[in-house]
Amino acid sequence: MTNYDPDKHPLIEMKGVTKAYNPRKGFFGRKGNKVLALNDIDLNIHKGEIFGLVGQSGSGKTTTGRLLVKLEDPTHGKIRLKGELINDLGGKPLQHFRSKVQMIFQDPYQSLNPHLSIAETISEPLVVHGIGSPESRREKVIQTLETVGLRPGKAFYNHYPHQLSGGQRQRVAVARAIVLDPEFIVADEPTSMLDATIAIQLLRLLSRIRDEFGMTFLFITHNLAAAKYLCDRVAVIHEGHIVEVNTAENIIRNPEHPYTKKLIKVQPGFRF
Amino acid sequence: MSLLSVDNLSIGYETKNGMVKAVDGISFSLEKGRPLGFVGESGCGKTTIGMTLMGLLPDNAKILSGSVRFQTQDLVRLTEDQWRSVRGKDIAMIFQAAMNALNPVYRVDDQVREAILAHRPDISDKELNHRIRELFELVEIPYERIHDYPHEYSGGMKQRVIIAMALACQPQVIIADEPTTALDVIVQDQILEELRAIQSKLNTGLIFISHDIAVVASICEDICVMYGGQIVETGTRKEVFSSPRHPYTKTLLGSYLSLDNEEHIIIPDMRESADLTLASGCCRFQANCTACDAACKSDQPTWIDISPTHKALCCDAGIIRNPHD
Ligand SMILES: Nc1ncnc2c1ncn2[C@@H]1O[C@H](COP(=O)(O)OP(=O)(O)O)[C@@H](O)[C@H]1O
Ligand SMILES: Nc1ncnc2c1ncn2[C@@H]1O[C@H](COP(=O)(O)OP(=O)(O)O)[C@@H](O)[C@H]1O
Ligand SMILES: [Mg+2]
Ligand SMILES: [Mg+2]
Repeated sequence: MTNYDPDKHPLIEMKGVTKAYNPRKGFFGRKGNKVLALNDIDLNIHKGEIFGLVGQSGSGKTTTGRLLVKLEDPTHGKIRLKGELINDLGGKPLQHFRSKVQMIFQDPYQSLNPHLSIAETISEPLVVHGIGSPESRREKVIQTLETVGLRPGKAFYNHYPHQLSGGQRQRVAVARAIVLDPEFIVADEPTSMLDATIAIQLLRLLSRIRDEFGMTFLFITHNLAAAKYLCDRVAVIHEGHIVEVNTAENIIRNPEHPYTKKLIKVQPGFRF
Repeated sequence: MSLLSVDNLSIGYETKNGMVKAVDGISFSLEKGRPLGFVGESGCGKTTIGMTLMGLLPDNAKILSGSVRFQTQDLVRLTEDQWRSVRGKDIAMIFQAAMNALNPVYRVDDQVREAILAHRPDISDKELNHRIRELFELVEIPYERIHDYPHEYSGGMKQRVIIAMALACQPQVIIADEPTTALDVIVQDQILEELRAIQSKLNTGLIFISHDIAVVASICEDICVMYGGQIVETGTRKEVFSSPRHPYTKTLLGSYLSLDNEEHIIIPDMRESADLTLASGCCRFQANCTACDAACKSDQPTWIDISPTHKALCCDAGIIRNPHD
């Protein structure tokens, strides 16, 4: 991965990606057909981009995110990071990959382990990947806390998740995601559980992190306005298909797909 | 006459860290045919108000002051026995996240049947079936789906069942607590449309609670903006949304992303959560207020009128009277 040329390859490349699930057992154990969560997806995300994935629930957004950080593998198709295939990674290369991609989840009340202090939560990835000494890790954690706006970092170091608000927890999740200086972060509806005044601050934070560290983001949301605010380009996903990709500006002004038009129509606003 | 009128209501919760005053001296009235919206961030006391109006406050809650006038009664004085004839019958609530609480082992029509029978045990079978049919029609669930189990329904359909159950006894007042929060935008849009249609058809009183100002704006004629257990601004929707006066209302509106406002977004610096242990009547927004000065910490805020229907709670009339920043 040393001689990666961002002009030659997108940072992330999905080609013909399909993901099929066996149906969850229904309440009465009925059997159904396979669920095609993703159906033949092609997607490129460039280095330094904040790329938005917008769609309604069940459309395949989280599945896309999970495949890109390799929490799961596709049924068909190829996924590349910096031009290198990740489908069959194992051993050392897989471990290296895991240090380069991170995911931030929707629910700040479930995604942090309540038994770990904030310090333990954020330093865990460093420990797992054997990075630094206890002292340097402590430094790094405090510095990262400050980067995500939890200042002074020392004041939060020994706190536990239950002592923090939802917005602060989400900042801890961001800190944990960036502590290894990853190349790529999937943020899966990170603001959907937050109040508007708190959500907008988190969006600012993600944008600042991109600017400062050049990290690349997949920002998953059902909120087109949030995608417009934060993202360079946006893909609209519907029933496992990407129906259009463009700048948010263009998508909103000239939606091509009927589903996109519908999505725009139902965005809450102040028309009365 | 107002359908329901609340005067100087304060509610506290006993906690191991002492009493938190989740609702601090609020007053409002609900008029027939004018949906009333409560909006504010999580923890500002919206659900506590709803639970008070339903007589369902938990054991550690205490009504510290105030009255709730409904018909000829003061609801805060009702005994549990008296509540049973009001709750669900005259006043019904669509509870937050209720659609996830539908009983998975009963068919949906049976659950609506239960809701009707709870208050009309002597209803004839014929009338009961007729009523069920009518309710499902009202919330636009096709008749052939009414014998399904909840898991066979989408989120939006489940929420329609919850609405049908709330309507079961033709209540005079419906309280809808975050009825669309768990739904995505497309389904949310349908449910809001549904609520609007039902409200104008039945002309019931509607109290609509949400943390999402645009959602409240799309349903309600009158708006109460809440912060830290207090109503900080109230007015018609046009007044509150086109000419917000309280610094918190401005923050809330200024940080709301819609498709056409990103140039005007203000990034707020809301650090502190509201202090619910402050003495009664103190401004709870002071720790986050950018316009606040020393007087705000010693004086008690008062209601400052902007119009006969529009007013805001603040220590500084200058801030409220100025429509600009
Ligand atoms: N582990 C799983 N087993 C079975 N079906 C799943 C699983 N995960 C997701 N699905 C299904 O795949 C589809 C897409 O889900 P998801 O990616 O979570 O959508 P989104 O994040 O857009 O709401 C849905 O129909 C969902 O029910
Ligand atoms: N049973 C309870 N015991 C103690 N505190 C509570 C209880 N229920 C709610 N609270 C507190 O009261 C405040 C208002 O809560 P709530 O009415 O649920 O707000 P909202 O619905 O606006 O989110 C919050 O600070 C909350 O933590
Ligand atoms: Mg998802
Ligand atoms: Mg609530």
